[in-house]
Amino acid sequence: MNFNDVEFIQDLKTMSDRRHEPQWFWEQRQKALSQISSLSLPEIPQFDFYDWQLAEVIKPQLHESISSKISNDKSLNVIVQKGQTTIAIDLDQEIKNQGVIVTDIFTALQKYPDLIKKYYLNQAIRANEDRLTSYHCALMNSGIFIYIPQHVKLKQPLMIKIIQDNTFKQPLIHHLLVVAASASQVTVITQLTAQGDQKNLSNCMVEVIAQTDSKVHFSAIDELPESTMSYLNRRAVIGDRAQVEWSIGMLNSGPTIADFASELEGREAQSNAKVIAISTGSQRAGINTRVTNRGQRTIGNIVQRGILLEQSQLTFNGIGHIIHGAHGANAEQENRVLMLSDQARGDANPILLIDENDVLAGHAASVSQVDEEQMYYLMSRGIDAPTAQRLVIRGFLGPVIAGMPDNSIQRQLIDTIERKLINGQKYN
Amino acid sequence: MKELQIKNLHVSVTTEEQGQNITKEILTGVNLTIKTGEIHAIMGPNGTGKSTLSQTIMGNSAYHITKGDILLNGNSILDMPVDERARQGLFLAMQYPAEIQGITNAEFLRTAINARRSSKNQMGVREFIQELDKNLKLLDMNESMTERYLNEGFSGGEKKRNEILQLLMIKPNFALLDEIDSGLDIDALQVVAKGVNSMRNQEFGALIITHYQRLLNYIVPDVVHIMMGGKIVKSGDAELAKKLENEGYAGLRDELGLDIDLVDEA
Repeated sequence: MNFNDVEFIQDLKTMSDRRHEPQWFWEQRQKALSQISSLSLPEIPQFDFYDWQLAEVIKPQLHESISSKISNDKSLNVIVQKGQTTIAIDLDQEIKNQGVIVTDIFTALQKYPDLIKKYYLNQAIRANEDRLTSYHCALMNSGIFIYIPQHVKLKQPLMIKIIQDNTFKQPLIHHLLVVAASASQVTVITQLTAQGDQKNLSNCMVEVIAQTDSKVHFSAIDELPESTMSYLNRRAVIGDRAQVEWSIGMLNSGPTIADFASELEGREAQSNAKVIAISTGSQRAGINTRVTNRGQRTIGNIVQRGILLEQSQLTFNGIGHIIHGAHGANAEQENRVLMLSDQARGDANPILLIDENDVLAGHAASVSQVDEEQMYYLMSRGIDAPTAQRLVIRGFLGPVIAGMPDNSIQRQLIDTIERKLINGQKYN
Repeated sequence: MKELQIKNLHVSVTTEEQGQNITKEILTGVNLTIKTGEIHAIMGPNGTGKSTLSQTIMGNSAYHITKGDILLNGNSILDMPVDERARQGLFLAMQYPAEIQGITNAEFLRTAINARRSSKNQMGVREFIQELDKNLKLLDMNESMTERYLNEGFSGGEKKRNEILQLLMIKPNFALLDEIDSGLDIDALQVVAKGVNSMRNQEFGALIITHYQRLLNYIVPDVVHIMMGGKIVKSGDAELAKKLENEGYAGLRDELGLDIDLVDEA
């Protein structure tokens, strides 16, 4: 079976009908479907993943996931999705009163078709960019739409828990669309995990549309298991004087490619991308973190920190692209990886593409081992080698952890990192 | 009473010079016994192996023991890694402490204290803070020092005080103090000495390494050893340090009839 088989298209159509998708949306899927095979894979410099099956042909099926008890916490503003099922959307009444929209993507398609048509794969990411974006557009099977109206400033973060259902064979093709209208503010925290032990694909996209004077802090902790092969594409389009902060902890255990991008479109738009990645076992991960300065006096910063254990491979590319005409633009990046094993392979590549003279741009990159003097110092105080190593690593990751939006998320990130390190250290 | 015994210790260091590995013997047979309740001082000219001795006792892997032994309470510690030696009661106040960003001083101190305690007997937050406040006061240190990252951006003097703060918090049986007086003004020197003196009791012994007699006016040692050419050439009481201050190392060398080149000799 392939994507253009009548039977496959019919299965997809059935799924689309059962979700009551509008005709234009179905046509968009169909068009993308016809392009999958002819488009090429995205490019991650210095990272070879061309034999990965990232666009698997699997009969599309609607599937209701059983909601095991998630947790009993009564905290508000929590959205939980498992597989294709939305389990909970608990919002503060005050948020609802302000006209904020938080809903699953298929409900949004029926209730707010104009908004979806305007923003979905139409301003940040385009379906025809490459094989994986077209695959996503054709087969998207779960998602969330968030709309923050003008001047609405949310103090509490929106917490989104996305659980891939690996109890059956079906990829998770998830789309999170966040539109922050002018002068609005929002913090979104996503946690990506999985339940079950089927081998599955995960193709997750985030589009952030940050309009004039808005502020968006997007934070993600990715913890997909070894059995999940994942493609993460997160992109923000940032308008005049708008600001987008990214704080990302890429802690997947399976093969992962990721593309985190900020398009600084407006004048004086700003973005700050902080990314941590830890690779373990025989995992391979390739990450592009990109900033494109288009608008005048735009500022884009990238800070990346990677830790490699065992036989893993991790490639960090920091891509700074300053477009001709972006006078006074500023692009800084710092990419550092730490190798905890001599069998690991790490890369930290700054890639600067500058087509404008009147700019400030800088970069720093390093690939290093744990500092022996620091280890000796800590151990001379009675701290055992694995604990000392974890302290040194935590120090190395400090600048990114400190950027996480709230203390409980920082704590959770530190705990997850510790757990991953302890597991990885066992085998070293 | 506890005992740290150094027996006929020979140590060499391998350095790379112009692509060639050159092995040099630094310690040429050191004998020394320190008991808890005693403060010993080692004085000696530059390049004579004082720091090598302290680093070797702590277990720094850059120093290779070719002969001899180090015994703690009668048991050899040569096979113990650095952290185990520390947990057995040794402490080295370093001349050049490492800087570690992202870990606060307070967090580090608690981790270090609890590393030598059983999981049932961990020091609680309240007890820790009380102890910390007391020692900060003693050392005339600002509370904000504990929330700063470990040694990061500390001045030379702040680093030395921070080493002594760790000493007071960790409470080892034996402290090796490697040139804790270097780079300190007289006020800071007195504070550091006050910290060390507060540790003086029957459960604590120290080996103070210094160039100058001045520190020993504030921390009066029970025994003074003079080290030259990689071994101890003379031992005595606190008066020996004063005599040395007057005569210099060259004078002592000639008096003892030793054939040793002094590094800084013109």
